[in-house]
Amino acid sequence: MDVSDILAAHEAKQKAVTVEKDIPLEIDAGFLTVTDLNPVDKESYDADREEYLMSIARDGAQALLAALFSLPTTSSPDGPLAQLPPPTTQLPRAKPLPKPKPPTKWEQFAKAKGIHKTRKDKKVWDEAKQEWVNRWGWKGANKDKEVQWITEVRANADVDHDPVKAARDARKARVAKNEKQHQQNLARAMPLPVGTSSTGAPADRKKQIDRTLAVTRTSTASMGKFDRRLEGEKKLKGVKRKFDPTEISAASEKSRDLAILSKLDKEPSTKKTKSSESSASDVLNVRKAIRSASKGKGSAALAREAGGGKGKNFKKGKR
Amino acid sequence: MLRTVKPKNARSKRVLQAREPKEIEDPRTAIFVKGTHAGERVNAVMKELMALKRPHAISFSKKNAVRPFEDASSLEFWSQKNDAGMFVVGQSTKKRPHGMTFVRMFDYKVLDMCEVGVDDWKSMAEFKTPKATPGHKPMLHFASELFESHPRFVQLKSMLIDFFNGEEIDAIHLAGLEHIISISLGPTPPTMNAATTTLEASTSTAEDPSTLPKVHIRAYTIRLLKSGTRVPRVELTPMGPSLDLSLRRHTEADAELWKQAMRRPKLRKQDVEKGLGKKRKNLEVDEMGDLRGRIHVGKQDLGKLQTRKMKGLKAGRDDMLVDAEHDDPMLVDDEGGDDDAEDGERRRKRAKAA
Repeated sequence: MDVSDILAAHEAKQKAVTVEKDIPLEIDAGFLTVTDLNPVDKESYDADREEYLMSIARDGAQALLAALFSLPTTSSPDGPLAQLPPPTTQLPRAKPLPKPKPPTKWEQFAKAKGIHKTRKDKKVWDEAKQEWVNRWGWKGANKDKEVQWITEVRANADVDHDPVKAARDARKARVAKNEKQHQQNLARAMPLPVGTSSTGAPADRKKQIDRTLAVTRTSTASMGKFDRRLEGEKKLKGVKRKFDPTEISAASEKSRDLAILSKLDKEPSTKKTKSSESSASDVLNVRKAIRSASKGKGSAALAREAGGGKGKNFKKGKR
Repeated sequence: MLRTVKPKNARSKRVLQAREPKEIEDPRTAIFVKGTHAGERVNAVMKELMALKRPHAISFSKKNAVRPFEDASSLEFWSQKNDAGMFVVGQSTKKRPHGMTFVRMFDYKVLDMCEVGVDDWKSMAEFKTPKATPGHKPMLHFASELFESHPRFVQLKSMLIDFFNGEEIDAIHLAGLEHIISISLGPTPPTMNAATTTLEASTSTAEDPSTLPKVHIRAYTIRLLKSGTRVPRVELTPMGPSLDLSLRRHTEADAELWKQAMRRPKLRKQDVEKGLGKKRKNLEVDEMGDLRGRIHVGKQDLGKLQTRKMKGLKAGRDDMLVDAEHDDPMLVDDEGGDDDAEDGERRRKRAKAA
């Protein structure tokens, strides 16, 4: 029995699949990449370039495949899949990292309770019809009550109880409730603008409630004076009445009295006369002028047109 | 620049959601644009590259006057409109004949660019050999030590990996590995060696790109032959286009933008347990897959340990018994010895308790 032949044959087989290089090849299995850091051999390169390039590519491919075939595999319906490790080369991302969204109220509850998401199928087995029907959508099972031609009605039901309408309204209400909850989730997920602890919708609501409460506290027969204050209620701020001091200087008294006298001299002014006096309108009736110039559209439209006309003359840049 | 689109139906909403940033990204879509004068060679090369890049490739049919190194605004607009991460701009001028520029984007802004000139090429049609199925992932092979040391080649390597294979995948069907794309350089000129490349990167070699060795891109299909061992022997057949490129201009990424682009998502618990992440001391995953920790307790003085008290084992007990015998004449018994004395004590104690 000459074992050396068998050994030599085995050696040869092993040699055929292993690659020997000065610097070992770096393999990044995650990206299916192999890098050969050995310097390019000038003589072989000049002698026969394509052959040389193919030979070093073959060595690289051999090393990479050896690494890939040694990875753990899982079976799948298409055949064995090799589990790839995470890649070692760092490549830049194409888009920035996503911002983590806060979980919704349901998601928090489900996490706390340990409820998992179950995927529902679109088709559902209908025992009566003995076939698969859609759960929702065209001819969906959720519209059965609205479609069926006869419904049982309770004995004490209204004369004009419409079961079809009732079923439809219930379905629409469910959709509306879901949409409202979705909007609330989105609003909760939106980050509050910078420094909005005292402003914003919830703060406004709080202020509104406080104001209403203050009004209700004084809307009793004795204006809230003799009501017992509950614990937690703050003292209501009243309007502070300011009285002038009894002794004022002679100069200030004189100026005050002269002001009263000058007011007595003047004609009583009405709103209409005030506005027409402030604008020098003896010559031009501004209101009528705007109306005719804007052809009834108003001053805002006139201003817009004036601004737009100037802008139109600029040449727009080529795309 | 672009108006934000509000989705009006479920389909457009799905498209918008697909474009949102994700933790693990999709492969980059490349847009192939032609400049005012591209030329026959550049046109054909871009077509072949698109064939290798399918299906994540878009080709613009019209010619556009775009100069990537001067004005990047058109590129930004197109990337936002088409949700593309890479561009290949083909242009041929008298000063720069048969030029192609690879542009990479981050957050719809230009990250970095690399211009190459196509010196020589052979079409896929000239190789009368079977081709790999489009859409399959290629294997990549980089051959030269300059890909590690020279910054321009490091950028080129990163750009080409992103172009061909930029997707992170968990598992791959080994039978689907059909082709390999090999990128090799010419021999390193003697003026450049490992010592000088990193030092002089910004000075002489960058200004004079003609001293840099040429880039050869070759594509081969793989044949696996039986070898008797579990790993098959690999044989290559030239398949696809073969390109000889020379490096021209380039722009490096802005440091701030690059830092943002290189941000990684936080490692999840499963990854830490697998062994990634910072090495945490005293934690290890044993063969069963359980996470085991070690608690180090300080040195203990066993003499001072608090244990259950057993009176009989107390140190000064014998002396005490001898004294008790002398005191109480009733209990003195020469024959009984210790046991009787002990019983006597117990009886006495019970009497006391009662």
